[in-house]
Amino acid sequence: MLLRLLGVSKRFGRDWVLKDLDFSLERGEVVALLGPNGSGKTTLLRLMAGLLKPTRGRVERLGRALLLSDPPAFHRHLTAREHLLYDLAFHGREGDFAGALRRFGLPEGLPLQAFSSGMKKRLALARLLLLSPEVWLLDEPETALDAEGRGLLLEVLKEARGRGGVVLATHDRALAERVADRALTLGEA
Amino acid sequence: MRRVLLLALRDLRLEVRDRSGLLSLLAFFAVMLFVMALALGPEEAPLRRAAPGVLWVALAFMSTLLSSRAFALEVEEGTLDDLLLTPGGKEWIYLGKLLFQLLLLFPLSLLALLVAAGLFYLPLERGLPLLFTLFLGVLGYASVATFYAGLLARLRGREALLPLLLFSLVVPVVLASVRATAGLVEGLPVAEVADWWRLLLVFDVVYVTASALLFPVVLEG
Repeated sequence: MLLRLLGVSKRFGRDWVLKDLDFSLERGEVVALLGPNGSGKTTLLRLMAGLLKPTRGRVERLGRALLLSDPPAFHRHLTAREHLLYDLAFHGREGDFAGALRRFGLPEGLPLQAFSSGMKKRLALARLLLLSPEVWLLDEPETALDAEGRGLLLEVLKEARGRGGVVLATHDRALAERVADRALTLGEA
Repeated sequence: MRRVLLLALRDLRLEVRDRSGLLSLLAFFAVMLFVMALALGPEEAPLRRAAPGVLWVALAFMSTLLSSRAFALEVEEGTLDDLLLTPGGKEWIYLGKLLFQLLLLFPLSLLALLVAAGLFYLPLERGLPLLFTLFLGVLGYASVATFYAGLLARLRGREALLPLLLFSLVVPVVLASVRATAGLVEGLPVAEVADWWRLLLVFDVVYVTASALLFPVVLEG
């Protein structure tokens, strides 16, 4: 098992976003996280990553977790190459960043302020592949991607399954049905 | 240590490429020193007497602005989460942000010293002891400023809260720095000034150590 949530609830102010949620993620598993806007998908991913603390309950991470947020966050004055180099160093890892940029069709020397949303999404996927976590937390990774980008996303999801487990928050039911082993739907009565 | 150095160099690169933060800092600093010089009048004696205090007020404000800037770089771009998800302890983030500030503050301190020498008749004959005082004072101030800037990074109104929280803790550092600088300007023997240096050294060691140890805890909140 890579990740387990036991009776997790989260409250912001007076509003409960999540209540008494139990969940587990196994190695080699892809779980789709479905639900309308405001149902708590992003909050749940941030709880899983350890970026938020549950109001009640417990989150147990048995593998290294990384989050691909939507939109992905980057420093606009750095180039894609610099970003990947710093990220690899901060995570104490080594990797073929030039190969990753080529694979995702991204320019090395252009500052990120010149990148489109889709290019940033591609860079976020490349970064995740290079950092290779065990728990892959993806928040709407398909948005802003063109057809080629979606093809790359499917490749990443396939590789991620081989390296650990994936929790994929999405509004794209077709994508969820295609790649996920099971789905967890939030915001249902 | 490699992560600390890389984070500091990355922030330095961002700051230089952005330019707006550094330029506003320099503009604020220059205007402040000129206004103080004009307010104190043309006489050499009062200007020279006020020089150590004016110098440290300018450095304190610069350090406060810079520490806030160090975390604003992450908060504005939403990249703080990426740093928090790196493996291992989070002390390196504090130390990297502190080093980033020191790499900017030391050249700025030198500049401040030269401007103060020109505007306030601050004698530079004892350059090395003055530089040593600047090093100890700036390190002490920046260590606490970085800690609080990190603590407040994700709060609204952090720019207003930071000075309020910070100044109560750094009063001893500012006082000791001003007294050591004044002693050097007045020509006191180094042995007498050394008492203030020892005090600053103690503050520096305590503040840097305590801040680095507590930083991961405050970031978790």
